[in-house]
Amino acid sequence: MSGHASAAEQTDPTSWPTAVANPGYAGDTGEFPQLTEDDIRGLTYVGLRPRDGGHASVAGTLPYQVAEKRPADPIFVGEYEERLVKVLSRYPDRQAALLPALHIAQEIRGHLSAETMDEVAERLQLPPAYVRGVATFYTMYNLGQVGKYLIQVCTNISCNLCGGDAVFEAFLDATGADAGAVSDNGLWTVMEVECLGACGFPTVVQINDRFFENVRPEDVPAILARLT
Amino acid sequence: MAEETTAIETVTCTIDGMEMTVPKGTRIIDAAAMAGIDAPHYCYHPGLSSPAQCRMCLVEVEKVPKLVPACTGQVADGNVIRTQSENALKAREGVLEFYMVNHPLDCPVCDQAGECKLQDYISAEGPAMGRLKEPKRVLGRDDFGGDVLFYADRCVMCTRCVRFMREVAQDERLGVVQRGSRNVIDTFFDEGLDGNLWADNIVDICPVGALVSKDFLHKARAWDLDRTPSVCPNCTQGCNIRLETRDNQVMRIKPRPNEEVNSHWMCDFGRLNYQWINRGGRIEAPLVRDASGRLSPVSWSEALTKLADALRGSRAGAKAVVSPFMANEDIGALRRVMEQVGGGSGVFRVETGEEVTLPGFPSLKLRTDRAANVHGAEAFGFTRTGDADGNGGIADLSSFDGTLFVLGDELADVDATFGASAGLFVYVGHFLAPAARNAHFVLPATTFAEMEGTFTNVQRRVQRFWPALQVPGMARPAWQILGVLLAGIGDEGAPGTAADAFHALGSVRPEFGTLQWADLGAGGALLPQPAAVGAGTQG
Ligand code: SF4
Ligand code: SF4
Ligand code: FES
Ligand code: FES
Repeated sequence: MSGHASAAEQTDPTSWPTAVANPGYAGDTGEFPQLTEDDIRGLTYVGLRPRDGGHASVAGTLPYQVAEKRPADPIFVGEYEERLVKVLSRYPDRQAALLPALHIAQEIRGHLSAETMDEVAERLQLPPAYVRGVATFYTMYNLGQVGKYLIQVCTNISCNLCGGDAVFEAFLDATGADAGAVSDNGLWTVMEVECLGACGFPTVVQINDRFFENVRPEDVPAILARLT
Repeated sequence: MAEETTAIETVTCTIDGMEMTVPKGTRIIDAAAMAGIDAPHYCYHPGLSSPAQCRMCLVEVEKVPKLVPACTGQVADGNVIRTQSENALKAREGVLEFYMVNHPLDCPVCDQAGECKLQDYISAEGPAMGRLKEPKRVLGRDDFGGDVLFYADRCVMCTRCVRFMREVAQDERLGVVQRGSRNVIDTFFDEGLDGNLWADNIVDICPVGALVSKDFLHKARAWDLDRTPSVCPNCTQGCNIRLETRDNQVMRIKPRPNEEVNSHWMCDFGRLNYQWINRGGRIEAPLVRDASGRLSPVSWSEALTKLADALRGSRAGAKAVVSPFMANEDIGALRRVMEQVGGGSGVFRVETGEEVTLPGFPSLKLRTDRAANVHGAEAFGFTRTGDADGNGGIADLSSFDGTLFVLGDELADVDATFGASAGLFVYVGHFLAPAARNAHFVLPATTFAEMEGTFTNVQRRVQRFWPALQVPGMARPAWQILGVLLAGIGDEGAPGTAADAFHALGSVRPEFGTLQWADLGAGGALLPQPAAVGAGTQG
């Protein structure tokens, strides 16, 4: 573990920390030759863990929680259609391709509206009610609009013991948003989540595709300041 | 056909101390049913796949370390199965306590009370007390469209409704949304069940009161209903049904399983089209036109004696209009009366509509002809006439001067001159319809719901129905009225029972003679194809 980055290492305090190769990366992008590892894992990797800066860690596998949301864009055209076709070729039936298809849709639009689910259902020739059942089962799909920054605060057991509730409150106070709702300026959505799988570093907060570890309530203003 | 060379493979097991041999692959729950043991279950339904979702059917199988869900576990040779072992009962008690964590105590206002599987199992093997102290969740209710209302709190998540829509209706409009304690059955946002003709079946298969019929909502309590096996009169499919009645009114119609005809299902059109059976304004006494030209009520013996006198010796031929809602026995008896008076032609009219198939059981369709006994009427030589609304086609009868019979048809579209020129006009029907105003004899008949008899469906299956309602006034089954009349003008005895009337049909249509009343049973029997049968019969 490389510890926190010093202030000097961060050349531009308003940008994400510099990317370094992920030593733990074990994946294979062979099926997607045109996708780089960066495309798949996000831009920065484990190794640099500034408390107020965020790193990609586990969140690197979830590239669909992105800041840029284009709710009106088509979902299955161009490179996205190519990705979907690849995904479809991986599974024996269309049902199994539904999760990745929904990921693609969310990556583009930021959330899965009824219309989006309808489009996915149509593209995969599945009943809309089935798609809705699947989309509502997994908490990683946003069913409503979220802000530019989706702030997920873990309040599960380890984080809770280390003050997760207070961190959650601090985010609500600092952003002025109601839990789960988009703040008036469209920037923030703050929500509680179950274990983020980084229990060794409580309290853990995930903002879009990045992890923030050991967050204390007093860290919150700095984190928000870096994002905007 | 290939000869049976191998016997079916069987396995032998013991269920609750009863040794039995069943075909290999039989599910424990089915084997138990064969032994007369009703293993508790919610998600299992004989017409659907089994997801082993509800865990209500857990049973103990000797030497198997875990309890086995009887709905998916198959019987293996030598299994010793105990549905009532201490372990099984304890597990099921736990399952029931779990169900009751959030289930409301709605029974006093719940439509399912009295036929609710949750009530039944809780009272049979549920815990005496629940341990939950927290308040129950409240989810409210939702209009699913069509005839279906959803009470989310009461749902036990068996997914029968979802599987019915997926596997049988093949129009997947229901899904399980959310997960864990937030699980709820829902449609795709505002797209409800509207427009699906088979949706009401989910109300029947919901084991609790989560899905209820808007039509039946709060209308009657299950234990106040009398249930009579019958046949749906609303199309030629002839779905096997139960007429559920109270206070001499049909309150609702439920399907009755018959694998040959409708499996476990029926369509909403037939199910919800029962108000006409309850209609008032019935003819309650035989009416005979007296010298002054008035129709006046008389006793049956007087009416039939007079009618027999009028008919005896009449050889001028007759014409008839019959209703395809009348039983085989009724229509056949009229055919025999007509033969006695010199023969003649007859027609029937029937409303028609679009045919709709149930994809998961394609031999079940809402048939084009919206009356039960079109094929019976055809078998007795009556021919189809009129338009798609069941009107018209009988203009030639206005000037007919022989003997005119009308059986059951209300003739809503005829004008005041109908039958005025007939030498003898006999109206046997249910309502004092305008068409009867020129009749010489108006004889009150019972509807199918008030009598015993049979319909012939589209597969040429002859199926029995039983009386569910009391007869209004002096009305009698038309086969009885016409049977007594036949005895008066011919030389045979009058039929005493529907069975007699049925067996007399063999003399007009030989194929009916091949069937025995006793063989019809609750599921009906097929007529042989009318190869050697005379004219007038259509396919
Ligand atoms: S579903 Fe059954 S147990 Fe539940 S409220 Fe209705 S009748 Fe009572
Ligand atoms: S609504 Fe009824 S049939 Fe559907 S899952 Fe719930 S309990 Fe089962
Ligand atoms: S409990 Fe917070 S990350 Fe696991
Ligand atoms: S009936 Fe077996 S688990 Fe539901």
